[in-house]
This record gives sequence, structure tokens and C-alpha cells, in this order.
Amino acid sequence: MSNKESLGIRSFRALTGAFLITWLILPLIPLAIWSFAKGWFYPDLLPRNWSLRAWEYAMSDTSGVLDSLWLTIWISLAATALSILVGIPAGRALGMYKFKGKEIVELMILAPTIVPGIAVVLGIHSVFISLGLNNTIHGVILVHLIPTLPYMVLVMSGIFSNYDPAFEAQARSLGASPLKTFWYVTLPAIRPGIIVGGLFAFLVSWSQYILTLLIGGGRVETLPLLLFNFATAGRNDITGAIGMIYILPGIIILLLTAKHLSGRSGAVGGFGQI
Amino acid sequence: MSDRTKIFLLLLPAMFIIVVLFFGGLAIGLMRSFNYMPVIGLTDPDFSAYIAVFTDREFYLSFALTFHIAFTSTVISSVLAIGAALLLRRSFIGRGMVNFLFQLNLTVPHLVGAIGMLYLFSQSGSFARLAAEFELIAGPADFPALVFDPFAIGIILQYVWKEIPFIGVIVLANMQSIGEDYESVARSLGASKWQTFRHVLLPLIFPGVLSASVMVFAFTFGAYEIPAILGANFPAALPVLAYRKYTDVDLAARPEAMAMAIVIALLSALMIYFYVRYSRRRIRG
Amino acid sequence: MTHVSIKELTKVYPGADAPALDRLSLEIPTGELTALLGPSGCGKTTTMKMIAGLLEPTSGDVTFDDRSVLRDRPEDRGVVMVFQNYLLFPYMSVADNVGFGLKMRKIDPAEIKQRVGKMLELVKLPDLGDRKPSALSGGQQQRVALARALIVQPNVLLLDEPLSNLDAHLRFEMRDLIRSLQQEMGITTIFVTHDQEEAVVLADRVALILNGQMKQYDKADAFYKRPIDEATARFFGGHNFIPGTSDGQTFDCALGKLVLPEGAASGQGKLTFRPENVRIGQTQAGENVLNAQIKDIMYMGTQTRLKLTVTGTEIEAVVNPNEIEAHQVNDTLPIHLPRPTLWVI
Repeated sequence: MSNKESLGIRSFRALTGAFLITWLILPLIPLAIWSFAKGWFYPDLLPRNWSLRAWEYAMSDTSGVLDSLWLTIWISLAATALSILVGIPAGRALGMYKFKGKEIVELMILAPTIVPGIAVVLGIHSVFISLGLNNTIHGVILVHLIPTLPYMVLVMSGIFSNYDPAFEAQARSLGASPLKTFWYVTLPAIRPGIIVGGLFAFLVSWSQYILTLLIGGGRVETLPLLLFNFATAGRNDITGAIGMIYILPGIIILLLTAKHLSGRSGAVGGFGQI
Repeated sequence: MSDRTKIFLLLLPAMFIIVVLFFGGLAIGLMRSFNYMPVIGLTDPDFSAYIAVFTDREFYLSFALTFHIAFTSTVISSVLAIGAALLLRRSFIGRGMVNFLFQLNLTVPHLVGAIGMLYLFSQSGSFARLAAEFELIAGPADFPALVFDPFAIGIILQYVWKEIPFIGVIVLANMQSIGEDYESVARSLGASKWQTFRHVLLPLIFPGVLSASVMVFAFTFGAYEIPAILGANFPAALPVLAYRKYTDVDLAARPEAMAMAIVIALLSALMIYFYVRYSRRRIRG
Repeated sequence: MTHVSIKELTKVYPGADAPALDRLSLEIPTGELTALLGPSGCGKTTTMKMIAGLLEPTSGDVTFDDRSVLRDRPEDRGVVMVFQNYLLFPYMSVADNVGFGLKMRKIDPAEIKQRVGKMLELVKLPDLGDRKPSALSGGQQQRVALARALIVQPNVLLLDEPLSNLDAHLRFEMRDLIRSLQQEMGITTIFVTHDQEEAVVLADRVALILNGQMKQYDKADAFYKRPIDEATARFFGGHNFIPGTSDGQTFDCALGKLVLPEGAASGQGKLTFRPENVRIGQTQAGENVLNAQIKDIMYMGTQTRLKLTVTGTEIEAVVNPNEIEAHQVNDTLPIHLPRPTLWVI
């Protein structure tokens, strides 16, 4: 549907668009520049000397940056996988059924998305001491479930509310076992939800700081912790390099799943109905 | 297998995790804030931690600062996000790029943005250097303190940077699912563009904006790493203060930290109340 | 009281190879109820939106009382559109919905209340002012939508498929309501539909649009008695198109020589007559009487549909079931095509 828009409004839109584009990229620029700088002092607008040494350091074995990268990926993948496993049945229950107490259950699942981690993790930390889960990777993966699981359930519930169980009944009546029905009928139908939910869950885990800091005790040094340390230590060039590495997986995931994030997709529609 | 049993089994794993980890963590924190921990022999709950916290001037300063950060960030982000969504509804040159960058922004962790803000707005940062280049200031100290400052301007800027796309994407999806027909009706009944927005579109998108704002407020109130990097030391944001107390060498400070955590939890419970009360939609189904 | 004129209105959507609307011209007299009739995708909704100002034409003009309104914004044209799904503002009460247009004009709240009350009575919903739209039935919602549109006394009222969402008995009620309101207020009204029965029952005049072009604009009965071409006739359920030659008085074709009514066209063409006009049974020999053999009998409850062959040509007839009771397939019987019911295309 076209609307008669004056030239004034159209140029306003274009201008605002340009401003938004600049402003969205802006904070990332100094990080990028720093990673290629060899000393960048006030009042220089650009570094006088360029060098790859920050990157060399980051990629080297001694710096631990790559180890941290793999560790963070592993933790986030594990948390995401567990969330998917647990989130699919929960989402099915919430999306397809009405039952007494459903609103309370929904609220309980929603609560971790609103209550900040710091309010919960202190209590967990004191218990994990006795359970021996502190300073372990497993402990960190477990606490990451707290923020990631709700998003997964939310997205899956949205998908399941648009899902027609008649397809499964049809498959069963044609002779398919429950497992085969799930694999051939249910799974393909809910796949967009798994992808979108998984993306959100991964990103939520990827950017966790305080949970990892407290439960990991500094021993489980994920990328954000490493980044924080270098930033506060004033090593801006290495910070820049780590920062660039840190945002990379998120961008890759976004590009791979771009089509699922359009406003029309049922999964995001469910998410947008929060 | 009855439906009830089915539902129970489907929900069991997720509910187990949430009840044990999330509510369990809250419960333990609550108990410890009252110095009540039978497992290690503390069987007399008392209010000493709360008394210490509520008589501490630093706590009130911290709370006020954190509230200011959360409130200001949320309001600015919500308003600008609605504007951004209105902008992105129609096509214009560069719309695809803005859409892409919005979504890209969602994947960039807060910490990276915060560090970027630091490099941009600190007194020896890029903007300060630009100012010096144009001879607007003489030296770093002349550049206004936007980070580590008492008004938390840098922190708010960083939150606004992240939350406009977050709220914006939700509002935009909302607008697209509502469609344009209601506005067509209003226009044909004689409403101007502004009247249509104010009386028709805004009420329709309001529940979505409110839900998103509640999430943003809670997040910006309780986040640790951004004020840790961009904030002043005194007063520090409440999560930073709580962490400091918890990791204090003096173990007696731990219950105080728990008390602060409970205060944060109570505030978010209030947010949940607003969310439930005013939001029109629940999880679908 | 507005005279609407559509001049050579054309709309080509970017990327489409055929125009959605091709030089449509129409003169709608003041205060009349006109139907834009056509199948889905024929361009009728496009036309409506252009009249309302929600869509820009590629070329052509729309005038109200001989003044072009293309430059006017939708809210300045005085055209109100009632959508098929009513689009009542869900969070406003019925009264607020109806009063919306007046509120936007900054009319005094007390006067709004009074006018809303009167309007609700007119549409026979006097006590529902405080309800929310979700608490109303479909028929009630439509009346609220009508009230909301009429209260601002628009120059032109546009209705999108007004009767299609309603059950049969509600249709007649709504039809009467729309007609009486429209005539009482004298508002030029245009509605869009794909259902020829709806068009015929509601409108003063019907404009048939096929493939973006206007075929015929006439009173309803003309489409049955004097359709302009085969496509038009078929749209209205016509059958029986027999090719042949006319000399203005008789039509020479496979059925024989048939006598035409006065004013029939001459030349090569097709003879058409409606199935319900075929007379069977008690007929003496006379003009336009033919011998037919029954090929198929289809009982439809209130009517029976017959497939007949006359000297090898198949024709269809629709008769009262009683008339054909005695006959069966392969019987022969005389049929009569009354002269006034014949038409040459």
C-alpha cells in the first residue's frame, strides 16, 4: 500500500536511517582500530603505528585466548543443547494444552528472564560450595541454564501453539511408531523454533558474565571474563582483538539463520508476543 | 496415559531445573540474608544483615543511582525504539542495512558495547580527541566526564545503544502483525497522522512495549559488568556493590550481600507484577 | 450527496505484466447504492482503495462533484470505508468506537454522546454502548462499524463485502438496514462484492468488473435480460450460447430459425437465453417451439436442472420439479423459447 509521502518526509527517513547506521556501528570501531594499533595515544585520531602483534598474541598458545574461545563455545553449546532437550517438551505442554495452574507455570518459567542473575547466583554459589560444583565447567553450564531455558520454552511454546497434532495422529494411523512420528513429522515442523530458540539461548549463554564469574570462580575463564580483565588492565590493543573475536560467532549465527528472524516467522512472532 | 499425566511429564524436566536452580538459589539467598543456614549450624535467623544494609548510606546512594540508570535507560530506549519501528515500517534508502544492523546489534554482547563506549567517550577517548582536533578543548580534563561519572551517562548511553534494537525489533514485529488496516480506518474517519498514531496505533502496541520495557528495566537494574566497566566507584551500582560485599575478605559481609540481592529480587518481582497486570498477552496457548 | 465520477482509472503494480485496473470509467449518481461486482483479483478492491485515497492510481482521475480528489489526503476526502472484518478498535468501547470520527474533529463531548446515542438507536443497538467489540456478535459488530462510518456523514461510503460474513437470515436484516440507512441519509454508497446475488439484492446499479475492465454498468435486471457479452452472462449464471446469424428479426442457427424480440442486434453472434426461461410441457406448436430430448435430469430440491438436446445442440433448462415429474431421460418433449427472453450477443 503506497502512501503519498512528501520529499521532506522521505529525506527525513533516509537521514535518520543514515544516522542509525552510523550510531549502531560506532562503538565497534575503536575496538577494531585498537586491535591493529601499536600504541595509540592522545590526541591522535588514528594510531601512528599499526601492527598485528595484538592479533598474534591473541592467536598464540601462551595467551589462552583461543582456549577461552573453545571453552566458551563448548559451554554455550552445552547449555543450548540442554535447553533444547528440556525446552521442547515444556514448550509442547504450554503451547498445546490448557490446564489448571498454567498461568502460574508460565510465570515461573518467565521469572528468570526478569530477575537479574546477581539476585540468584549468590545463593547458588553458597550451595555449590558443598556440592563441589564451584570452579567447574559443569557448574557453569548448569547456572547458564537459568537464563537460557526460559527463552527456549517461550519460543517452543509459540511454535507449538501453531502446531496441529492431527499430523501426528495421521502418521500413527499410517503405522509409524512414536519415535518415527517424532522424527519425521514433529521435528521438521518445529525446526524453525529450535533454530530461533537455540540462537537466542546460545547468545544468552555467550554473553553471560556474573554467573560465570561467581560460579566459575575465575578458574573457568570464558571469553567475556578474559575480555573484562584485559579491558580493566588497560591493554586496549589486546582487548580490541579479543572483542573482535568475541562478537564473531554471534554474527556468523545471525547470518546463517537470517531468514528465520524476519518478522513473519512464527517463532519470532511468538517471541514478539512476550 | 491421561492428558494430565502427559502434561506433567512434559513439564517435569524444565520445571525441575527452574525450581531447583532458580527458586532454590533465591530461597538460599533469602535464608542466608537472615543468617539462617541450619546446614552449617546457623539456626537463629536475625535481621542483622538487613539492619546493616538499610543503615548504610552507601546502599541508598547505590540504589538511587541504579534506579536512575534503569529508569532513564528504559524510558529513552522505549520512546526511541517506537520511533525506530515507525521508521522501519516503510521503505527508504538504507532500510535493509538498518534492519540488518538492528539484528546484528542483538548478537553483540553488552560487554563489548560497553568497552567500545569507554573508548569513545572517556576523557582520552575518540570523541575527546575529536574535540581536541577541532580545538574545542585544551586537554583531556576539559572533556566532560561521561564515564565514571555520577550521572552514569556512559552507562545509560550503552544501555540505550543495546536496548533500542531490542525493543525496536519486538515493536516492529508487533506492528507488522497488527497491520495497517486499523490506521486506514482511522484516517478515513478523519484522523490526522498524529491522531491516528496517538489514538489507534499506540494503544495497540502498548502491551508489547510495556512487556519489553519491563524486561529492559529489570536487566539494566541488575546487570553487573556494564557498571563495573563504565561506572564510578562511589557510589557504585547496586549489583557491583553486592558483588563487592560478597567477595569481601570479611565473611560477615556475605549476608549483607545476600540482603542486597534480595532487594534486587524484590524489585524485579514488582516488575513481574506490572508485567502480568498490564500485559495483554501470555505465552500463547 | 456526492456525485462520484471515475475517469479512466488505471493501476499497474510494479513488476506486474498486466494492469490490475485498466482504464475504468464510471459515473455514480448522487445518493445511489452501487455495487462493484467481480471475482477475486478483478480490481474492485483496488478501485475502492483509490476512491478512498489509500492507494495512488497510475493514471486516471477520481472526482467528487466534478472536483478531482486525487490530491486530497484520505482524511480530507470525506470517504469512509467499512472493511470486511469491521476493524473495530478492540480496546475502545462501542460508544467510543462510534464516536471516534467526531472526537477527531474535536466536537464537544456532550454532543458526541448525544449523536452516538442516536446513531446506536438507528442501527438498533441502543444498549450496547459500554460493551467492548469482543463481546459482540459478528452482525452486531458490523452494525457498529456502519454506525461509526455514517455518524461522520461522509461524502461517500465504501463497503467491503458487507453481506458475505453473515448467515442467511442475518443477510436480509442487514440488507434492509443498509438500504434504509443509505436512503434516509442519502449518502452515495459503493460496495464491493464477488457474490452476484449480494449485488443484485442490495444495489440500485451494478458495475461488473472482469480482469480490471468494466464490462457493464446497469440496473440489476439488465444483466439477466440484456448481458453485454458471454463472459458477463456467464458470471450471472447464464448458459445456452448458440452461435449463428441474426438479421435483426430472426436468428439462424443450429436450433433452427428463431424469432427475435424488437431491437435485437444483427450480424454474426451468439443467441443466449437463460435456463429458467425455457418453457416445457404444455405447448402448442408456434413460434420458437422446438423438439428436445432429455439427456440428464438433476433434482435440486426447489428446482430441477435439465440437459436437453435439440437437433444435436445441447441446452440447459431449469424448471419446477413438478413439471418434469412425469418424464425421464431420453424422453422427447416440446420446449418453447418465448420471444422476449431471447438476446443476441
